[in-house]
Amino acid sequence: MKGSRKTQLIESIMEVVRIVAGMAIAYAVALLILVLISDDPIFIVRQFILGPFSSPRRIGSIINLAVPFIICGLSMCFMYAVNKFNLIGESIFMLSGCVVTFVGILIGDRLPMIIMVPLLLIIGAIVGAVLSFVPAIMDRKLNANVVVVSLMLNSVIAQLAIWILRYHMRDTTISFTGSKTTPESMQLPTILGNLRIGSGIIIALILVVIISILFFKTSFGWKMRIVGANPNFARAVGFSTLGISFTAQLLGGALAGIGGATEIMNTYKRYLWTATTGHGFDGLLVAVLARKNPILVPIGALFLSYIRIGADVVNTSGDIPSEFVTVIQGIIILLVAAESFLSGTKRRLIYNTVRKEEAEKQGESNKEVK
Amino acid sequence: MSIDIAAFIADAIKMATPLIFAALAALINRHAGMFNMGIEGMILCAALGAVTVAHYSGNMWIGVLGGVLTGVITGLFIAFAHLTGKTDLYLTCIAFNLMATGGTVFVMYLLTGEKSTTSGAFRSYQIPNINIPIIKDIPFIGKILSGQSLLTYLAFISVFVVWFILYKTRIGLRIRSVGENPKAAESVGISVTKVGYIAFLLCGLFAGLAGTFLSMSWVTFFMKGMVSGRGYIGLSAQNMANGSPIGSALVSLLFGTTTSFSTTLKSQSSFPTEFLEMIPYLATILAIIFTSIYSISKQKRIERGNK
Repeated sequence: MKGSRKTQLIESIMEVVRIVAGMAIAYAVALLILVLISDDPIFIVRQFILGPFSSPRRIGSIINLAVPFIICGLSMCFMYAVNKFNLIGESIFMLSGCVVTFVGILIGDRLPMIIMVPLLLIIGAIVGAVLSFVPAIMDRKLNANVVVVSLMLNSVIAQLAIWILRYHMRDTTISFTGSKTTPESMQLPTILGNLRIGSGIIIALILVVIISILFFKTSFGWKMRIVGANPNFARAVGFSTLGISFTAQLLGGALAGIGGATEIMNTYKRYLWTATTGHGFDGLLVAVLARKNPILVPIGALFLSYIRIGADVVNTSGDIPSEFVTVIQGIIILLVAAESFLSGTKRRLIYNTVRKEEAEKQGESNKEVK
Repeated sequence: MSIDIAAFIADAIKMATPLIFAALAALINRHAGMFNMGIEGMILCAALGAVTVAHYSGNMWIGVLGGVLTGVITGLFIAFAHLTGKTDLYLTCIAFNLMATGGTVFVMYLLTGEKSTTSGAFRSYQIPNINIPIIKDIPFIGKILSGQSLLTYLAFISVFVVWFILYKTRIGLRIRSVGENPKAAESVGISVTKVGYIAFLLCGLFAGLAGTFLSMSWVTFFMKGMVSGRGYIGLSAQNMANGSPIGSALVSLLFGTTTSFSTTLKSQSSFPTEFLEMIPYLATILAIIFTSIYSISKQKRIERGNK
């Protein structure tokens, strides 16, 4: 009994080591890229590492940027937990932001913020659940490939959001494409004065708590994790695996919708998106980093927003395109997902402890015999 | 509103070319038992690779080679992550496509200082269109069959090449046996990993041609995100045709027609372009729904028959 607990400990420690090593390697690659292409490598590297902390404003923007990452990370935790890479969150985020702005402008200042904000969050969640219903039901009833279907739908829904923006809420008095300004009752106030952190972070953290309880303290969360970890076992003990993964995808979609709504209320005064924002894929990275564990999602989200802000700083001060961050993101996903990455070390550690224990046991039983 | 039908069909065939290449690329992997979504990113990288190599070498044909090589290298990269690194293939492909989207913009910016297109900075090369001597003089058909890009003809030839490789050669047999039952294949001494690498290599070849077509024939420059789902559409096409090369080409032609339809309408009507842009993707989703319903009902019929 004691032995298995020890190997379990080694497994979970190695899990953390693997993730940290993956992030470290990816970060090193980022630094290497910067050193190779920049004329003044020391300055650029320092900007990338320390730039995000150089002013209270920037520290605040790390937090603000992490808000949608947290919510989308939670959303992808659901998809990833049941092993369905449903990427519809990418366009849900966009359309939810669009619909929420539309409804917000329609209502105007008639409702106080205390009612307006929850109402819009619910609308965002409904938009998300309705949209993710399509790939989820196709996955459940038709056994269609959920990745391909969701990616195709993303292109369709993005166009729909652009159409709503262009034809139904465009502000013709401004020179760029954008909606009319949203009423003040849906612009979340900033907190912690100097840092200019939007209160969206509170919504995100409340969601982390709720989702963690759902994952670890309810029977649905438990079933969901079993369906993802071992579908054959789940089927054998009589779970409705299709039903559970269907529900998980709807919940994930609803969360992505809340994410879009929160982002609009937290950082924008107008709706401006004319293409999908990439938050669905960012959410996947966060979920992978957090190993499908909602409690760890904020850490993954903060890491991602830290390197994003770093890239932005480098982009403005050193003229290096911030797109290189997506390459880093890809490397992190690959390293963390790679089973064979550091698996030799893990096996050796487990093998050694088990052998030592066996030897001890052998010694004890030998003594008893004597 | 008047539509020149011959021009419309010719355009549909042109639009289908990258889809056919993409479908063939996905098809080879499918027969090896792997669902490769990464072709989307592979095509994107190849498109950039082709114009870049062509610009720096000053030779169009070396550019084509560069595009194909980029496709192969990216294919081997995914193979390495999946087969040697043992990553989940879905996750690998999503991560790779992400890297390709940002990476191509990054590389383009380093080379040209532009972030959206290479059209200003790189010399443009157009793969020649071929006029077939006698056919081109036939009134209606000549306009459709003649004067297409060299790569379009190559795409149709490739359909038969892939069919031949898969069903008439030793490596094709090995690929199919690995896809059918990897354990059985391994037990008779076939290295599953090696065959997997070969499948990705062949896949990269066709993904490379698809990318080269996009950036050197469809248009003559690289544009950010220019693949816009063609990889996925090709992937669905071969899925619908159940892995048959000829069937995949036919479904690709169908999807090419919807794309052509949407561009034709865009120039001829005042309908909001947003909805016209949706057509190819909606068509793909609908086609997936219909083929799934068909195959499910067929399976049910078989089950009932057995009872």
